[in-house]
Amino acid sequence: MKRILALVLVVAATLLARQAGGEGLRTAALGLGFALIAAALAGDLFEHLWLPRVSGYLIFGLVCGPSVANIISRSMARELQLFNGLAIALIAFMAGLELNIRHLRPRLPALLRFGWRTMALLYGGLFAAFWLSWPWLPIDPAATGLARLALVVLLTTVVASFSPTVTIAVITDTRSRGPLSEATIALVVLADLALILFFTFSMQAVRWALGGAAEQTVGMLPRVTWEVIGSLAFGAAAGSLFALYMRYVGRELTLVLLALCVVLSGVGARFDFEPLLAALAAGLVVENIAAPGSVALKEAVEQGARPVLIVFFAATGASLHLDALALVGVVALAVWVLRLVLIYAGTTFAARRSTIDPAVGRSVWMGLVSQAGVTVGLVIIVATEYPTWGRGVEVLIVALISLNELVGPILFRSALARHGEIARMDAPAPLEAVADPAGT
Amino acid sequence: MSERPSVIFHEVGGRDPIDAALRTRRGPGGFGRLDLLLRTRQALGLRATPAPALVFVPLGVLLGPHVLNLLSPNVLGHLDAVVSVALATLGVFVGLALNPRSRQDRRLLWAADLESTVTIVMVAAATLFLLVAWQAPVDAPPLAAALTLGICAAASSGGAAEVRGNLYHVVATHIAELDDVVPIVAGGLVLVALRGATVWQAGLLAALTGALGLIVGAAGWLLFERAHDAAERGVFVVGTIVLLGGLAAYLSLSPLLAGLVAGWFWRQSPGRADRIIRDDLQKIQHPLVILLLITSGASLEWSRLALWLFAPFVLFRVAGKLAGAKAAERLAAPVTAAELGAYLLPPGVIGIAFALNVLQVAPPVTGSAVMAAVAAGSLVCELLALIELPGRGDEA
Repeated sequence: MKRILALVLVVAATLLARQAGGEGLRTAALGLGFALIAAALAGDLFEHLWLPRVSGYLIFGLVCGPSVANIISRSMARELQLFNGLAIALIAFMAGLELNIRHLRPRLPALLRFGWRTMALLYGGLFAAFWLSWPWLPIDPAATGLARLALVVLLTTVVASFSPTVTIAVITDTRSRGPLSEATIALVVLADLALILFFTFSMQAVRWALGGAAEQTVGMLPRVTWEVIGSLAFGAAAGSLFALYMRYVGRELTLVLLALCVVLSGVGARFDFEPLLAALAAGLVVENIAAPGSVALKEAVEQGARPVLIVFFAATGASLHLDALALVGVVALAVWVLRLVLIYAGTTFAARRSTIDPAVGRSVWMGLVSQAGVTVGLVIIVATEYPTWGRGVEVLIVALISLNELVGPILFRSALARHGEIARMDAPAPLEAVADPAGT
Repeated sequence: MSERPSVIFHEVGGRDPIDAALRTRRGPGGFGRLDLLLRTRQALGLRATPAPALVFVPLGVLLGPHVLNLLSPNVLGHLDAVVSVALATLGVFVGLALNPRSRQDRRLLWAADLESTVTIVMVAAATLFLLVAWQAPVDAPPLAAALTLGICAAASSGGAAEVRGNLYHVVATHIAELDDVVPIVAGGLVLVALRGATVWQAGLLAALTGALGLIVGAAGWLLFERAHDAAERGVFVVGTIVLLGGLAAYLSLSPLLAGLVAGWFWRQSPGRADRIIRDDLQKIQHPLVILLLITSGASLEWSRLALWLFAPFVLFRVAGKLAGAKAAERLAAPVTAAELGAYLLPPGVIGIAFALNVLQVAPPVTGSAVMAAVAAGSLVCELLALIELPGRGDEA
């Protein structure tokens, strides 16, 4: 009851300011403060309903955002998105901390086989469906021949993408640990690597097919290599420096961790590095080489992660475009159902033909439904370069993301709950890890 | 006697977890204090310095658009929100220190209010006379501009080196800590008047600032003790402070005043809200203060008006503080006027913070002139204090 009263007070103060100040210019701190408190309370309410807290943050953002109540105005939502880079880097860093290579290595070949079979079926199914239904899709119905082929490949690549950010955020938020969490993280990260390659090549194919200024393949390869290898190297170097700081200074870890994430997202972007990969590499280095199982780091991550997750998902919710969903609702719904069915079919098919734990194989599809920031980033590239038909792709994908954002975290949380992995991050370390601390 | 029992180091961010882990130094005398500024941990901002402005304002100038341009105008624009939050944080700490329960505390609060009011009046009157006489090109009402300088001059940090068990030191620093209340309250009014508001409008908007501080304070009070875990409590604490700063910034009001009201509310309300917010905020207070000072340095724009205002600011601030100390002498006993005046010399952070707030909301010519004059004047006053502040009591 007192929490509800506090929420009423916070909403009242914000509305009072909005009423007195109109559409002010300095909106960042107001949006941030309001989102932090109110979304945290909404997330808490969702947890009581056995739903993921991140869904609570999202729904809060959607309800208070410009599409519905407009307490968070469009300019506030834009300001909140400044935190996206930091959030993505922090979430990926946490994913790196959860990936113990020694632990994962025996299962990696099976996961790779499982992953490529799933992706092959998903890509194949989407490609066939888009090719056949092209005249009815609100993109460029008149396209034929090679142009249509290239456009279908591009659309397939974007629609098939997953969201490592949301998946990892759900795992972090629910404090989950176990085979399903580990397998899902590994799959979404591998899929993200594949996505960077596929998208680069499919954009190149579109440029070539539509007669644009296609980049030379020879020039494109070093760029992709720079983006992938460079990101990993940059992240590993940053992770090593962070580990040195932990060892020799070790104070104010939360602040330094957040600063590291700002560097990984801000500085990395200037050099065309992928923040997700760089931060993942940093986390991997810290967990697997420098400071495995550090309690101080765990506390620092816990302190820093919660507010960042709240702001990130509230901002995402506030920027969900219900208008786009209304515009292409039926088509978006059809594509959403198709993607869902193909992910389920792909994982079921791949699970039967690999040595992956059958229980994990049956449930992992639920962790692959979400789509978010990475997909939005890709679709913005397309719409900027090809404003005519690219706008059609943007509207369709944004509507699709809105559906996946709302459903994905709920599905994944229920899978984690079914596997009993929720809150296992807080459980004591397994006996094998503590029995022989010297490693002899 | 115990170690400065009732004084909260609300400005320099002292007693943060790092400082607590370190052995307390006895205060050196004379020029030996300069040595404190050269210590690596202090220079890096990892430990509170007695005069942080002396280190971080020049560092801000160096990093700012006119020298290295690492803090470009675009970056400074993004830091605007952080500045508002830092201002609210400072206000909260002043509000938390405001707890005049005993007769002695009330007496010291009156002494602090009296000396800061005298300083505001002296500096504002002198500045107003000069602005009119020079026909200075200010783009805000001259009275409001003069009062702004008076308010910036009135704050003191009492930033003397810590001396254990010395009654003079305890009383004088306590007055210096408490004399931020009047400038913050007056600043809430003047900030609105600077934009040409009438007295009625200024009063109304200052009341709105206080009301917002109370509403957010009440929301925080309902939440802090009911958090499920430390992470959630951290979210509530940070969210509350950011909301305080954000509401004031959105309406171009004073985050310092909103923070002061909320801090006072938490101190007076039942429960542990004041202790929770103090403990949690101390983790971010020191970095926020440093950021605020660096941003001040980077935002400095010198103009002829700033140069005109700089010398009178220093001169009349010193005179105002000495006159204020004389006026408050009877209430500050056993400390004499001369001793108290010396303790009140270091301006600390609040004056610069308020000037930065003025820069955010006031018309540009007045805003940047006040910022430059106050920042430079505060540095000069800090240097004067380093030389002048009594080292007595080291032997106590």
